[in-house]
Amino acid sequence: MKVLIFEDEKAKHLYPLTYLRPVWELRCGISTLLDKFKRTFSDDELYFWTRPEIVPLLKRKYGKPVNEIKILMGKEGLILVNGRWLLGTDGFAIPAKEEQGVCGETVLYGYLASEKIQSDDNLESLLDKVASLPKKEVPAKLINYPWDLVKYNSETIKEEFKSLGRKGIEGKMAPESVIYGSKEEVWVASGAEVHPMVVLDTHGGPVIIAEGTKVFPFTRIEGPSYIGPDCQIVGGKIREGCSFGPGCRVGGEVEESIIQGHSNKYHDGFLGHAYVGEWVNLGALTTNSDLKNNYSTVTVYGNGTLQDTGEMKIGAFIGDHTKTSIGTILNTGTVIGIMCNVVGVGHLLPKYLPSFAWFLEGKVMKGFGLQSQIETAITAMSRRKVYLLPEEKDLIAYVYETTKGERLEAVRKSRG
Amino acid sequence: MDNVTERVKAVVVRQLKVDPAKVTEESDFVKNLGAESIQSLELIAAFEEEFDIEMDEEASLQVKTVGNAVKFISQVLKEQKS
Repeated sequence: MKVLIFEDEKAKHLYPLTYLRPVWELRCGISTLLDKFKRTFSDDELYFWTRPEIVPLLKRKYGKPVNEIKILMGKEGLILVNGRWLLGTDGFAIPAKEEQGVCGETVLYGYLASEKIQSDDNLESLLDKVASLPKKEVPAKLINYPWDLVKYNSETIKEEFKSLGRKGIEGKMAPESVIYGSKEEVWVASGAEVHPMVVLDTHGGPVIIAEGTKVFPFTRIEGPSYIGPDCQIVGGKIREGCSFGPGCRVGGEVEESIIQGHSNKYHDGFLGHAYVGEWVNLGALTTNSDLKNNYSTVTVYGNGTLQDTGEMKIGAFIGDHTKTSIGTILNTGTVIGIMCNVVGVGHLLPKYLPSFAWFLEGKVMKGFGLQSQIETAITAMSRRKVYLLPEEKDLIAYVYETTKGERLEAVRKSRG
Repeated sequence: MDNVTERVKAVVVRQLKVDPAKVTEESDFVKNLGAESIQSLELIAAFEEEFDIEMDEEASLQVKTVGNAVKFISQVLKEQKS
């Protein structure tokens, strides 16, 4: 069966996290949404339909056509699956006949018979065909906004750990370290090292430490938490509900937060109820608020407007390649775009900083421009022996151009 | 001294807090007037505000002296007028 993972128009609600990636590459739990699709549709061939600007990068990364109708045609039918669907571990039963699965107003999936896929179709026309199919209401977790990823993280870690079926100490764990709670709820993967004076507290849920990761002394990791491959946890207080992608360096206090990968929060400072992109560097003592002093619900800037999340605990959402200086203080519900440079001023920053903007001396500025930011990105990545693909560079340039208007507007407003 | 030059020098003195007597057309913002990288950005922002212009980020990286700034800004003002 062919399965087409698609992005609907709400993928843009996940900016800045989805500027440089499709929605299904975001993390929740132990894996990305894509990993969950692969797990669920393990016997099927996966195809993808995304925003046009991301197509070249995905073609390069996935090594297969993207946004192409011809490969979707054939004798078998096609299942279209919404890329924002946070699939659980209970699997998906391929429908016996054409139907669409919906969650409220959102199409989760649609099963189209093969003869319905024509060579002049595109995603829009395929979804139009799905819209005419019999509906089945399906309870589902949908990632509508960045905070949904954080909201579902803890329970997803627990669910995926159970289904993973891996536990125990396959790597190294110093005898002076402690598993506080059930030892059944720990998996230290082969090649991972837990140094002396580390506490893995499983009272709240499992602690998973992936291959190649080093957990240094005086670290406490509270479950449910997932530390991805090749990370370094440097004396941190990793509280419940954390997931770190590969290659992160984390210290200080982190709670209910997701780091996409290859980002550093090496030093002291609090990160809570946040989602941090890739190649972000949070300077020492960078701290975000995740709870308002009056315990009211938090508003977050998205899609050009300030929206009430309905949630009391919301932290910060920081785009790829952004850097914060020492002592940066982020307000509750802050959104910072990609490739920003934020220099703390001793008080709260504005709640929204457009991509590529700099924040200096209390004002939004244009920075040194695209090339300078790309050079910084190349330098940062090469330190970890990762290289910026030409397609990534083109995508970054695209985002630079498309965010120019809001960035210049923010600069003008900031000057008063 | 034309108006643009006078205004550019005033901005430089204000932003970099330097002695006006040290600000000449040949003065390099970094080498002679001690501007740090962050101050270079603030200087560009100050020029934009003073003259109500937009300076392209990458082009403005080439503005290294007071004279360069005067020339660049004069050109931008001319383009905006036409």
